[in-house]
Amino acid sequence: MEWVLLKVHECNPPRQSLIAGAHLGAGLGLKAEHLDDILALPVEEAICTGNSLWFEVHTENYFVAGGPRLNYLRSIRENYDLSFHGVGGSLGYDHQSMPEHIQQVKALINEFQPTLISEHAVWSRSGGAYFADLMPLPRTRDALQSLVEGIDRYQSGIGRRILIENPTNYLDFISEMDEPQFLVEAAQRSGCGLLIDINNLYLSSKNTGIDATEYLSQIPAELVGEIHMAGYDPDPELGQALLIDSHAADIDGPVWALLEHALSLFGHRPVLIERDANIPPFAELMRERQTAQGYLDQCSGHTAVANGFQKEAR
Amino acid sequence: MALSPYIDAFADYLRTGDARGMNDFCVNAEHMKRLSVYRNGFYKGCVDALAANFPVCEKLIGRETFKRIACVYVDHFPPGQGTLVGYGQRFPGFLSDFIAAIEAPPETVTLSPALVDLARLDYAWLTSLMSADATQTLTAEKISWLVEGGHDFTQAVVTLNTSVVLLRVNPGTLNQWIGLKTDSGIAEPVENSAVEEELHSISELTRADSAVAVDTVMFWRVQGAVQARSLSAPEIALMATLQGEGGILERAFDAALAVDPDFDVSDVFSACLQNEILEIDMAKYNDKH
Repeated sequence: MEWVLLKVHECNPPRQSLIAGAHLGAGLGLKAEHLDDILALPVEEAICTGNSLWFEVHTENYFVAGGPRLNYLRSIRENYDLSFHGVGGSLGYDHQSMPEHIQQVKALINEFQPTLISEHAVWSRSGGAYFADLMPLPRTRDALQSLVEGIDRYQSGIGRRILIENPTNYLDFISEMDEPQFLVEAAQRSGCGLLIDINNLYLSSKNTGIDATEYLSQIPAELVGEIHMAGYDPDPELGQALLIDSHAADIDGPVWALLEHALSLFGHRPVLIERDANIPPFAELMRERQTAQGYLDQCSGHTAVANGFQKEAR
Repeated sequence: MALSPYIDAFADYLRTGDARGMNDFCVNAEHMKRLSVYRNGFYKGCVDALAANFPVCEKLIGRETFKRIACVYVDHFPPGQGTLVGYGQRFPGFLSDFIAAIEAPPETVTLSPALVDLARLDYAWLTSLMSADATQTLTAEKISWLVEGGHDFTQAVVTLNTSVVLLRVNPGTLNQWIGLKTDSGIAEPVENSAVEEELHSISELTRADSAVAVDTVMFWRVQGAVQARSLSAPEIALMATLQGEGGILERAFDAALAVDPDFDVSDVFSACLQNEILEIDMAKYNDKH
């Protein structure tokens, strides 16, 4: 493969700001099979205008000492902003083994200087085992305290603010507050921001009967730093009664509609298209990305929120 | 409500599939079966990672058989770190025990004993791929520089770079592994003999009982791609001298020639340079200039 060396963007975004991606438009989850397509893209000239293409990676996939995986990421970073999205931090529980994890995250951050850094409001570690998925927290005071401590440790360890993502809910657990209250209080107490996954919210509304619109209305816009979009699949056994956050299908119409509503509330925010299975050709993902960019352009054009957002980011 | 009892019950469910402990924490008892989404996700993530890290093993025994064995491995050795990169370090040893266990009645499944060596080769390849990038590669240019500076480069201390991984396998297994890895046809494996399972120091390899037929395989990474080959006896002796803290080049050459007086040292040394296998700390030479 021929390496393509292109000029690095010099946008100088406010990287320490809570909402750091003012210049970012719609982005894509980075897949190794798309690397050549990405490197063949023409370099964008327009920057800091809210439409820049960017890429998100799962941070833990780069916990390697060296080799081609890191080199691929370096080649992408030459021309694009990156977002580091953690899936194994277990912010909600078992913080004892966090220092080693954070050390690896920080080393990657130091090298790649991602514009956005995020994690999940879940747990995944207990008793020395890592359960390799996003396990739900009960929305209780005790769980909230544990989550806030986890976020504090993570942010202190990496020296950056992060965004935390709302989970997909498949059933209800005993709780003392609703999810917007839980997440907003976690953000306000820890100083982190929120990553609103619109597909997760849509699936939670279908699986557990919450009102997605009401949910979004409870989220202060100034806390929202990123939005995720993805596809879902019905459960093989329960069908439409249980919708699974598979990241293996095209984004469904109602999820796009919910994005449009979210953007009308929050203003221009970086929107990520996630696809982790049944991965289509790059051009197909770029079409979904273009749809998301269209919503962002519409949002900026109709409400001029982008200008306000940039002021807010300063 | 305290968090720990909830986590303990949830973790117990994830490990055992017994959801009774979650009764007190689920709002709707009719939805309890939905907990399986989380358990399925946990196992799927781990099994997919094992399949990615042991692709030749999966190819040999098929997706479904691999998945069944991998699930048992997850039961015994769940990931300990918050990442699945490199997950499966104990998988070859586990396979060895697993194969021995299913050989006992009443099990009817049979697995090739070669599977253990193939797993070790898979993991050695992965280890080499993910190893740290070389920073002090010994090159022809550096040798010229040393010679021009009046240094005898054969007296230089040289080490193997961090991507070099050495292991012993049964004869023929490497060819079988390469055949499966590259879809270039499967060489017939030789019957399994008592090959130790850990990665070896080459010093041990050179002292190995010659009555036990084994191949010594070396993996290394050059230009981002992992390479593999069997080593000859003098090559093993040469590498043994340079392993670990490193050794003086002349001693490495002498060790190889002691095994085979006709061994072409310069040929192998050139190949080592071309393949960026050797490293040298130039700091002490720079200080003297």
